[in-house]
Amino acid sequence: MNDQPRAASGGRAAISSNSLLRHVLLCAASLVMLYPLLWMLASSFKPESEIFHSMSILPSHLDFDSYVRGWFGLRDTFGTFFLNSAIIAVLAVIGNVLSCSLAAFAFARLEFPGKTIFFSLMLGTLMLPYHVTLIPQYVMFLHLGWVDSILPLVVPKFLAADAFFIFLLVQFFRGIPRELDEAAMMDGCSPWRIYCKIMLPLSLPALATAAIFTFIWTWDDFFGPLIYLNDMSNYTAQLGLRSFVDSTGKSDWGALFAMSSLTLLPVFIVFIFFQRLLIEGVATTGMKR
Amino acid sequence: MTTTLADGVSTREVREPGRRWLPHWAAGYLFLSPWFLGFFGLTLAPALVSLYLSFTEFDLLRDPRWIGLGNYTRLATNDPKFVAAMRVTFTYVLFAVPLKLIFALSVAMLLNKGVRGLSIYRALFYLPSLLGASVAIAVLWRQLFAGDGLVNQIVLAVFGVQGPAWIADPEYSLYTLVILSIWQFGSPMIIFLAGLRQIPQDVYEAAEMDGVSRRRVFLRITLPLLSPVIFFNAVVQTIDAFKAFTPAFIISDATGGPVNSTLFYTLYLYQEAFAYFRMGYASALAWVLVVIVAIFTVFSFLTSRYWVHYDE
Repeated sequence: MNDQPRAASGGRAAISSNSLLRHVLLCAASLVMLYPLLWMLASSFKPESEIFHSMSILPSHLDFDSYVRGWFGLRDTFGTFFLNSAIIAVLAVIGNVLSCSLAAFAFARLEFPGKTIFFSLMLGTLMLPYHVTLIPQYVMFLHLGWVDSILPLVVPKFLAADAFFIFLLVQFFRGIPRELDEAAMMDGCSPWRIYCKIMLPLSLPALATAAIFTFIWTWDDFFGPLIYLNDMSNYTAQLGLRSFVDSTGKSDWGALFAMSSLTLLPVFIVFIFFQRLLIEGVATTGMKR
Repeated sequence: MTTTLADGVSTREVREPGRRWLPHWAAGYLFLSPWFLGFFGLTLAPALVSLYLSFTEFDLLRDPRWIGLGNYTRLATNDPKFVAAMRVTFTYVLFAVPLKLIFALSVAMLLNKGVRGLSIYRALFYLPSLLGASVAIAVLWRQLFAGDGLVNQIVLAVFGVQGPAWIADPEYSLYTLVILSIWQFGSPMIIFLAGLRQIPQDVYEAAEMDGVSRRRVFLRITLPLLSPVIFFNAVVQTIDAFKAFTPAFIISDATGGPVNSTLFYTLYLYQEAFAYFRMGYASALAWVLVVIVAIFTVFSFLTSRYWVHYDE
């Protein structure tokens, strides 16, 4: 596995056979990794009888039956779940980008008493497992009457609860030349105008990275909706899928795979379009997934 | 009114705009106001309340009842499920994190040799990391590692033997989740790749001139120069592994079974809080998790000075 040919070891033949070996290894590895995904997608188009007897990643013919059975498989359709997920994800993106960029601007550019302390506290929250705040937050939202609504999932995003993105944006803002906002300040620009007219437009790549990761993490979030949403009409796609697992058990894998594939689709689309941004985001900030 | 702005621009004696009616530092607090609300209302106050709750018995219906160290003594002395959860979680961390990192580093080193199509491979390997946290993937894993699932079909076709029941077998169930974690080696791989790119090429050239063996180049050059990145990945992945929840929840139908073999710490915490409504006990569990993560973090930072090499 750990063959590491040196770039310039003995002659051309060696180089090309080494690079061929690398390609074979890498291709094999990508196939093994992607095979389950492709198989699931293919199975969602296979008739039920075929799923357990075919390892093929090509269905014998396209059969949309599973999708219909899955979509209408619960009291509320997956249309409801997808809509709920989309609303929550879009609000989360807006809230996160707005509140985190405001906070990041203050930390990166403004001076005020206690700044260093607040900055360390903010970094401290990065390390704090969310389980510690979970139960009191739940009790609080319960008393506010917010349980079984999207508010507990969305409002924290507007309060910059995800310190990770503040950190990411502070790093980016610090890279923008200070001369720009100093000049603007000399011309009498308020901090608000500097934030709107200089920082935000110059930070589009960072804001886009924050927006995309917020979208994906919110879309995939299972724990939050599991705790806060009770009525099926409020379920997100992840929660709907889980209920579907519970209700069909192992009896209808075709429909389960069909709905599973559908819930992966939005993330996959984002991946296709923003691949570079995602990978750069991970490489430069060390995002964990 | 003329004042001097603190730091940054102080040397220039900036004239403040005329219509100013707030002190110059007010802007900072205004910009931070959403974060202040969030920090005090959603983090600091809840954290303190949960510390208090961890010394009480609390079921949401009645007021919390102070029981001193009751929850903690029960944890330490009289809770076989807690012991099971600790064992499962530590086993998971111990297997999943190193294996995932070894995989990530190996593939990153293969890719770093200037492979054609690098960006395609990188994207393909990253995809599972991106999708892996979703319920759909956990559902897929449930089928793959079912007794009559795809993995056993392949085992049967290739080796001609019936494989174990995987997720239904307490011997193997946890390891199917370890495999799921390794499957998502893409993001640490990307970070390793970025780290490998930082290593100056002339170091390798010099080593080659001196005829140093590959093994020694790897042990004496690559590993030490990469150690800050290895350290970072190890810490992030470990903390993440301690918090794993969704796959175990879906694969075991929220039970942590069979026989508590997939009872992740967070799954146990969830059960205590939201299935049995023992909020006080769950708060104690949460604080024990904080202490574990804190000890681990401090420990790794303390030991890091012996093996992590930073540039001067």
